[in-house]
Amino acid sequence: MAENHNDDPILKKSFTLALLISSFLLILTLAWSLYQEMFGLRPWRGYQATFVESYTKYLKKEMPKQKSAEDAIKQSAEYQKLLADATAAGQAADSRVKEIAAERSFVDKRLQVLMDTFTTERGRVTALEYAVETAGSDSARKSRLKDVEEAKNNKTTVELPTQDGKVEKVTMNYDQLLAEFLRLKGRQASLGAEQGTLLNTVRELRQQADVYFKDHLSGLTEDQLRSLLTAAQKLDPSIHQINVGGAGLVDRCQSCHIAMDSKVVPVNLPISKADLGFAENNNAPFASHPNPELLRIHDPEKFGCSPCHGGNGRAINSVEQGHGRYEHWLWPLYYKENVEAGCQSCHAADMVLEQATTLNRGKELFRLKGCVSCHRYEGFDNEGEQLLAARQQVRTLETRKKDLELEIPRITEQGNQATENAIANRLYQKASDLRVTTAKIDAQIEQLDRRAASLMREEKKLGPSLKEAKMKLVKEWIPYWLANTHTFRPTTKMPQFRLKPEEVQAIAAFVWQNALTGPLPPKQNPGNVAHGKELFETRGCMACHAVGEGQNAVGGTFAANLTRVGEKANYDYLVRWVHNPRERTRPYDPIARVDLGPEDYAKFNKPFVFDLENTRSPDDKHEVQVQLPTVMPMLRLSVEDSRDVASYLITLKNPDASYSSADFMDDPKLKDRGRALVKNYGCASCHEISGLEDEGRIGTELTAEGSKPIERLDFALLTEDAKYGKLPHDLSGAGIPKRESWYDQKGFFEAKLSQTNIFDTGKLNPQLKMPQPALDAADREALVTFLLGSVDPQLPQSYVYKPGDTRRDIQEGWWVVSKYNCMGCHNLRVGQLSVLSGLPQYQGDTKDKLPPQLIGEGARVDPAWLQRFLENPALSATDTNRNGVRSYLAVRMPTFSFSDGEIQKLVRFFAAYASQQVPYVPPRLDPLTVAERAMARQLFTHPAAPCLKCHATGVPAHDATAIAPNFLLVHERLKPAWTYRWIIDPARIAPGTAMPSGLFRKEGDHMVFNGPLPASFHGYTKDQADLLVRYMFQLTAEEQRTLMSHSPAPSSKPAGK
Amino acid sequence: MWGDWHQLWEIMSTPDNVPIVAMLFLVPFYLWYWHRQAVATDGLITQLEADPALAKTHHRKVFPWKQGWDREVHTWPYLMRVEFLAAIIITVILMIWAITLNAPLEEPANPNLTMNPAKAPWYFLGLQEMLVYFDPWIAGVIMPTIIIVGLMVIPYIDENPLGNGYYTYKQRKFAIWTYLIGYVFLWMVMIAIGTIIRGPGWGWFWPTQTWDHNRLVFEVNRDLHTLFGIHNRLIAGIFGGVVVLLYFVVAGYCVHLICTANSFTRKIYKRMSLFQIVTMNLLLVLMISLPVKIALRLLLRIKYVWVTPWFNV
Repeated sequence: MAENHNDDPILKKSFTLALLISSFLLILTLAWSLYQEMFGLRPWRGYQATFVESYTKYLKKEMPKQKSAEDAIKQSAEYQKLLADATAAGQAADSRVKEIAAERSFVDKRLQVLMDTFTTERGRVTALEYAVETAGSDSARKSRLKDVEEAKNNKTTVELPTQDGKVEKVTMNYDQLLAEFLRLKGRQASLGAEQGTLLNTVRELRQQADVYFKDHLSGLTEDQLRSLLTAAQKLDPSIHQINVGGAGLVDRCQSCHIAMDSKVVPVNLPISKADLGFAENNNAPFASHPNPELLRIHDPEKFGCSPCHGGNGRAINSVEQGHGRYEHWLWPLYYKENVEAGCQSCHAADMVLEQATTLNRGKELFRLKGCVSCHRYEGFDNEGEQLLAARQQVRTLETRKKDLELEIPRITEQGNQATENAIANRLYQKASDLRVTTAKIDAQIEQLDRRAASLMREEKKLGPSLKEAKMKLVKEWIPYWLANTHTFRPTTKMPQFRLKPEEVQAIAAFVWQNALTGPLPPKQNPGNVAHGKELFETRGCMACHAVGEGQNAVGGTFAANLTRVGEKANYDYLVRWVHNPRERTRPYDPIARVDLGPEDYAKFNKPFVFDLENTRSPDDKHEVQVQLPTVMPMLRLSVEDSRDVASYLITLKNPDASYSSADFMDDPKLKDRGRALVKNYGCASCHEISGLEDEGRIGTELTAEGSKPIERLDFALLTEDAKYGKLPHDLSGAGIPKRESWYDQKGFFEAKLSQTNIFDTGKLNPQLKMPQPALDAADREALVTFLLGSVDPQLPQSYVYKPGDTRRDIQEGWWVVSKYNCMGCHNLRVGQLSVLSGLPQYQGDTKDKLPPQLIGEGARVDPAWLQRFLENPALSATDTNRNGVRSYLAVRMPTFSFSDGEIQKLVRFFAAYASQQVPYVPPRLDPLTVAERAMARQLFTHPAAPCLKCHATGVPAHDATAIAPNFLLVHERLKPAWTYRWIIDPARIAPGTAMPSGLFRKEGDHMVFNGPLPASFHGYTKDQADLLVRYMFQLTAEEQRTLMSHSPAPSSKPAGK
Repeated sequence: MWGDWHQLWEIMSTPDNVPIVAMLFLVPFYLWYWHRQAVATDGLITQLEADPALAKTHHRKVFPWKQGWDREVHTWPYLMRVEFLAAIIITVILMIWAITLNAPLEEPANPNLTMNPAKAPWYFLGLQEMLVYFDPWIAGVIMPTIIIVGLMVIPYIDENPLGNGYYTYKQRKFAIWTYLIGYVFLWMVMIAIGTIIRGPGWGWFWPTQTWDHNRLVFEVNRDLHTLFGIHNRLIAGIFGGVVVLLYFVVAGYCVHLICTANSFTRKIYKRMSLFQIVTMNLLLVLMISLPVKIALRLLLRIKYVWVTPWFNV
């Protein structure tokens, strides 16, 4: 074998280099994998290290600052004084304390010495006494008693220390020992107590200094900062995790967002990126939660982070994964502008949510812009649905009843024909059973009908009733409006439909021909335009309506902008509308599905009268719809005033406007085509249309739209563009923030709302019929936030906010408040301003011209009265052209014709919102004695504060200048406790009120009038404010009249002090 | 949309598809590498056959070989060191793979929303692709069984000892072509099609064509008998059976022709028993039926050849 094989490559080829390189590579990869293991896959380690570094720097920087702040406080005169007081008190007590200490040590020593002997003697005596008690015979007992005597007389000598440090020898028997022992013990206790009292005073003063220090130092003390520093430096890189087993929640967000961990950065040390030396655009995930108040309500230890914010709470490998912004995580982190979406998943039932303004706006818009009219959303305006269901049930029951009614005579007839008695009886029995059944059905129908009547009051359509179109509208205007909705009225709720000219014609023709033709509203004479304008501006119309376009618009946005209303409306109809917007031309019988006219009533010999008192159909079978389904309330204007307002409104027009004639609208051939289009576009969702009253919603349900899988959202031909972040040309001006990809729920909603048919782009046959609502970018973002939050909650149901107590009343109340735009006139929440208060005519000193603010209304008024007031704000059946309470206000509390349920909700809402006890039981007030009545009268008419100077009395001459409510209402309207607080300090309850504060001052534990008092008050020790309250609650009209004469002449100036 | 390179990159870079992309390069490379060796060895064989004296003393079976080199070398260290090197390189590759690519996990399964396209793991994509051409009973049960059985019987059919321990083409032409058609062409190509070509709705998307979920394609597949105007189910069943039988006869005969094409194969053929011949012939006919059916489906839009109430072919 030892041949010449030197060149055999298998034997000779060296693999050294290959082995070296690959081994080297192996080691490199090994190192790489270790690095990945330590840092690459654990970016939070790096973050934590950076955090500790900058946090340490921050703390070190803060410590001297806090130190100097501490010093400054400690140097301050107040603190020094407090400290000096404490020291002085300490010194004052010092000598006595020393004495006590010395005496105590002497007593202690003496006691110690005595103790030994005393306990020995006591042991002996008690043992002998026991022997006496258990002695078997009298003689034994006697002899043992003798032993006791002896023991007690036994003298012992004790070497007791004396005050001067020497030792005295004292010889004592048992009783003397006991006496000395008790004396020393007593002395010890009294000395201790004295010392305690002395030192307590000192301690209290010290504490005062400490409290002063704490109150004046903002932030933490240097010592606290130092302990934080020590803790931070010891911080071990670790995963910071919140784990709530019951909710299946594991959130590790704080591993990177470590400043959110209250164990590292305490809640009372809020830090920002800037504090830590990072620029605002730096990606460093370090800052405290910007809203600690929210965290207080939602304890992170229970709620975690991801249930509110979205994102993948478990992932800590990368920012992308943690934030869940990748294909396979279904709940990506909400973007900043949509962060409130997180609230919605648990607070879906709340219409108004504190601290979630964007979301609130989104919900409001969802209703206001009519989204809810086509798209069902759980909890939103479902009266229509319930109404349809109730009516359907009524119809079914009626059919059954009719069948039974045919059956009964047939069976009776069979009974008559029967040959046997038994059979006949059985048949008769059956017939009578059936009669009972029909009676039961009647009762059921009655019940459903009542429910329907209440629902009919609650159901509001967003748009006007098109049954009235022919009477209300200018004919030529209708096709123009359909084609140019947003040109005519840019802020209208009606969205712009994409209609072809032939479709516009067909729809206009259908609306015109399908509308009611009469009875026509009465012809009206022209009114006073100037007075009408004044009424429009002062009666409160502008809380909902605006006049002027674009920047010039003045007024609320809740209802239509009336800038060009004169171009579309007929004057006669407008007068009727202003007088009572709910007035129908014909009542609608929902069971028979007809609009009833005088002829239908005539059939039953009934007058053609229908209103909230006459709600039965002429055959008296059903409740009929007697009101137009509009939220616009009745302002209780007189017909003359209505005429003036309407005259003013009819002048609001663009003088150049002209509409081409529209003869095609009378073409009957177009009607059917129009009806099909109206059905297709879902017009009946917002409008009442004859023949289409029972149409349902046509849009997709949006209750859980945010958790719809992305595959179910049809991006159509834009799918690829969306994935690669390419915005279609049509959306370039919509202000949608550019993102790497908009193939997600947010992107879909944003694009769709910017242009509702965007996903028809490139389609040969466009199919999307959702019209274009008028939204600006902020509106769109609010709606997107709302939709993103509309998800099936990930958390267990127990997390969902479903309050069962008064908080539920609040929750329900907001829906009604928002439905009728109460906040257009009233302030209900702290920080919320009504629309009216922002109007130019209410600027300056106009507090007394604005409607009352209702913060704390539940505490102010008696709920029973509130209920009556909401039913009829005029508080009178006849004299309605005024306000019931504040008759002096030009602005009018309208009549809303609430359903009973809505009134209940509002009353309970106010009570709950002001944390009132339910039910409310009016307290019994002590009756006034004759003397008290005289005194109260003097207070009431006191020249320093003559109540009747400002408060209305019901006498027109006086009330012309009154700026406060009538006292005669007090007794049924107000709660005494509130009234008491009010007269003591009204400015605290309603800042800026004209009612003067400081009428009473505190004297001891009761209030005393703050002014010269007549002699009769001498010796009166009761609370004088309470006296006045009691007087007011027992005031009679007669009494008030008497006092009027004593009152000074009313003046327009509020009485001030 | 054509020219969508982003789409192609997305397919190629999916962690799940890495083995397939690697396969696209590795299989041709190793085929070429094998081929180079085989040609060289075949040259050596020719040389040795021409010179029996040389063959007696020197016959290290692999090329290169020179006079004076050892006939045999030791496993240790000459083989082991190469294997060790290979082990290191493979370890490096696997580690880098493991570090850079995560397991392709997705969201929790949602029974109401299945993914589209829903693809089997890469090694089963060939089977899934077969479902396009046969009914599930054939493609999912019968064919896989035959494939496994076929692989198991190979040593009992192929008793040719030549080619053991060295690369050769000349001595194993038949086996190599069977492998190229059966494995490389049918199995590998079908996996590649399943990965790269099949998009949403299991539609056919050429590379760089966008996988558009909204794409609509109008295709009508017909059963063979309807082309002949047969609508009676019984007659159609008989017709299909006859056609299939015909295929077996023709294809069997073709395979027989190939097996007896030259003197070398005839020699091997003569050594085989009848049972071996029939088994091999049947298996090959079945294997060939797959490309035949693919061609029928893709080119002639024929869905099934033989329709019976129990199965379709």
